[in-house]
Amino acid sequence: MVRLLERRVLHVRRGAKSAPLFIFWMILPVILIVSIFTFYPTINGIILSFENYSVFNFANIHFVGLKNFKKILVDPLFWTALWNTLWWIVLSVAFQFVLGFGLALLMREPFKGRGIYAGFVFYPWALSGFAIGILWSWLLNGQFGFINDILVKLRIVSQSINFLSDPSWAFFSVILVNVWYGIPFFAIMLLAALQSIPEELYESAQIDGAGTFSRFFHVTVPYVSSTIFATLLLRVIWVMNFPDVIYGMTRGGPGGTTNILATYMINIVYYKNDYSLASAVGVFIITILMVYSIFYLQFTSKHGSGEF
Amino acid sequence: MKKILLLTVFLLVAVFAFSSSKIVLNMVQVFTSPSRTEVLQNIINQFEALHPNVQINLISPPYSTAYQKIYLMLSTNQPLDIVEVGDWSLEGVVELGKLVDLRPYIATWDASNDIVPGLMKAVSVTGGIPYIIPNGVYAKALFYRPDILVKYGITTPPKTMDELYSDCLKITDPKKNQYGFDFRGTGLPTNFIDIIITSYINDIDPNNMYKLTNGQLWFKDPRTLEGLKKYIDFYKYTAPKDSINWGFDEQVNAFVAGTTPFLFQDPDTTGLLKTMLKPDQWMTAPLPVGPSGKVYPSYGFGGWGITTYSKNKDMAWEFIKFFTTPKISAYFCKDYGALPVLKSVYESDPYFSQGVFKAWQYMFEHPETYVFTSYPLNNKKWTEWNEFQQDTMQQVLLGNMTPQEALNKWYDFWKDAFSM
Amino acid sequence: MRKSRKYKILRAIMLSIYLIAAIIPIYWIILTSFKVPSELYAYPIIYFPKVLTLSNYSYLFSFAHFSIYFKNSLLLSAISSIISTLLSIFSGYALARYSFKLKGFVIGLLFFSQMIPAYLLMVPQYSMFSNLGLINSLTALGILYVNIAAAFSTIMARGFFVRIPRSLEEAAMIDGCSRIGALFRITVPLAMPGIAAIFSFSFINDWNELFTAALFLNSDDRYTIPVALYSFISKAGIQWGVLSAGLVVALIPTIIIFAFMQKFIISGLTQGALKE
Repeated sequence: MVRLLERRVLHVRRGAKSAPLFIFWMILPVILIVSIFTFYPTINGIILSFENYSVFNFANIHFVGLKNFKKILVDPLFWTALWNTLWWIVLSVAFQFVLGFGLALLMREPFKGRGIYAGFVFYPWALSGFAIGILWSWLLNGQFGFINDILVKLRIVSQSINFLSDPSWAFFSVILVNVWYGIPFFAIMLLAALQSIPEELYESAQIDGAGTFSRFFHVTVPYVSSTIFATLLLRVIWVMNFPDVIYGMTRGGPGGTTNILATYMINIVYYKNDYSLASAVGVFIITILMVYSIFYLQFTSKHGSGEF
Repeated sequence: MKKILLLTVFLLVAVFAFSSSKIVLNMVQVFTSPSRTEVLQNIINQFEALHPNVQINLISPPYSTAYQKIYLMLSTNQPLDIVEVGDWSLEGVVELGKLVDLRPYIATWDASNDIVPGLMKAVSVTGGIPYIIPNGVYAKALFYRPDILVKYGITTPPKTMDELYSDCLKITDPKKNQYGFDFRGTGLPTNFIDIIITSYINDIDPNNMYKLTNGQLWFKDPRTLEGLKKYIDFYKYTAPKDSINWGFDEQVNAFVAGTTPFLFQDPDTTGLLKTMLKPDQWMTAPLPVGPSGKVYPSYGFGGWGITTYSKNKDMAWEFIKFFTTPKISAYFCKDYGALPVLKSVYESDPYFSQGVFKAWQYMFEHPETYVFTSYPLNNKKWTEWNEFQQDTMQQVLLGNMTPQEALNKWYDFWKDAFSM
Repeated sequence: MRKSRKYKILRAIMLSIYLIAAIIPIYWIILTSFKVPSELYAYPIIYFPKVLTLSNYSYLFSFAHFSIYFKNSLLLSAISSIISTLLSIFSGYALARYSFKLKGFVIGLLFFSQMIPAYLLMVPQYSMFSNLGLINSLTALGILYVNIAAAFSTIMARGFFVRIPRSLEEAAMIDGCSRIGALFRITVPLAMPGIAAIFSFSFINDWNELFTAALFLNSDDRYTIPVALYSFISKAGIQWGVLSAGLVVALIPTIIIFAFMQKFIISGLTQGALKE
């Protein structure tokens, strides 16, 4: 197969001169697919946000300018959701990252049954977000939830906690579940990256008299930094667009306390049947993420975390 | 011999030609569950047996994605002949302009006068035009747990809202994890809120749940505030705090666990309850009446419509007619847990006037007390209202909003929605 | 590196904490999947059911045609994720090894593709596939899955390739290997932990994808597992027993993949080191 590719795709063997063509063919398939199936529909989606596409005026769809955007900006629910989104991202990703990195470090060196251990500790990532949402809403139920039952039985609490109905708990609970779900992502990615650190680096650091912490910050972190920065960036983007867990648990309630932009957008689709309005929220989401990414990339490249 | 051979060949060719010219109907259901899919498939098989040249493909999208799928399919003219639509989304689907006005079909349909009186009017949501033929009716009744209640000396179900409330109070004891009312705070509790509030008002317009007979909205009526306060009391004093986040599933869970032995629900709950409780553990009763001496339940319904771009409208109509025959209708409703749409089914099948169905029968027979009232389903803001009401209601239950503030918001919402 | 006994004990404790936190929900799912309906919602909660039943599982496979969905999901996920992983090896490698004018732009585009909310794409993607006559096609869904995974996989693959010293490939190329030969003989084996991770992520994403599948597939015999599982959540409540059984069955391939991938993560390095 390799031979075939050499002949078919590359025409030329070796020689740096052929690089442009080589690069072109290597990158083309991905760019082509993403352009056709993501970017082209995205452009249509953005156009939609300037129209009045809802089921109620299907026969009369036309351009309405910034009307949808104005409508959203005066909606107090939008602002609550925006603020919640910020906390949702910061807290979820921070804990996912720290705990995931921790797990990766713990699993770095072999131990008996590591394969099976990996299967059981990573499986949350293998469940669908919505399944996790409804499952946890059952587990965290304040009346007959499994978690509360255990907590009471072990006398950790004297009375059931209303994890999902008490506004001061609800947001905490959805974040907790999101963290639970996201730990394996960081753990797997960082574990894979950690495995590629040459042992000699540690040995030489040890000879230089570096302690555990110093080794961690001077050998481990720099070595996996490109993975860290890429996964952090991706994770923030994904978590922002990840309504599944919240939707399965609280649908944004009670009283909008767990509403984020992504759930706010879904509710517009489901209850207002207004695709243009929902698309306008989508445009806001994309804008926020772009601004964030630009700052993030500037920051990381300035701080010499290497290219990624 | 030769002749026979020729004849066989001819027949075979004919069969092939025939089978290749099969009429294919695509049909989508909304309220999908695996058992419902099986019931529908059985009905389809029976129909196909009667019409060998017809093949019906049943599309069963998961319930919560079903309408988005139907909107997308209809708006892009995907192959679809028969579409199921439920009450709350009917206006939206009709507004897409892809459903056929069924009046010409009904006009030539003898059995149409067998449909329960008033039902065709109830399903003619948009401009009074019937776009669907109902396949099942849903209405709330009071489900209760005699086995739990008898422990507290309650042997008959409450007849009024006040009795219900005092029964609930009597048995509520958080220490024992015993509560009264199976409250619903999420998953669109519109019916639950309105049943209790409106029971305080004796002049609701039967054509519009949110108006009085004099045409005014009732949100500013003092009786409304009283009703809303009672509803809040049900939550505060007789229901678990957690129930602000309860939808259908949690309600069933709490009912089966016995935590909350009083539940307002539709007949399709019976299917699930049958698998989880013994027959003597649960029963139904008519909805309790309010201080007004009345209560205002509403008809929920689902039904079949035909797409405008269908190439086989007549065959689609054939199927709908077949579905609405007494035998099929009774089978569907029994198995799925809906109330039948045909008068003759109630008359001929004792199943629907006995046992748990007696409660509904009683309510239908006393229309002066149980005033079946229509929701403004043709209003474009209807589904938005469901979400808005749920959200504001939660704010009130959390104490972030006073009941009066909520009523003012609701008044403004409908004033605007009705452009009054 | 030798570690002290104290470290090992501490590590064992920490690993156990992670395991317990992860395992509680799966314990509950498994327990529920073996319960009879009357015990599902019983209160006080039944932790050790008197009767264990397999009826949920038999319902799943006999009544609910789960074996068909399983086959669909397996083929769809495996093929899509193999394709997207392969494509990402090419593009990730090119982006890691070469610098060219539009590189920053290409990487930016790939990140950008991750920012787009699924609901923004719903109507346009559906219209597009409808115009192409590709509704109700598993192949079309597979293309969409490759599309979803390709950008992310490329970004990750690039991250892994960047860390592998260029000198190894150059040595191989001097020995007569072509560029792509060097990629597959030297770089890919070295990056195997990362590639295994990329493949499993794509596989799991595809395996769990619900939203697009529920919209794009019509026929029952083309449904995937998530669509089937989602059907147990109906207007009249959730069939927890069967749903749990379905979740357990759906988890089996993914747990195997994780265990398998973990092997790769370890062996990837040692193999690479041996070849040096």
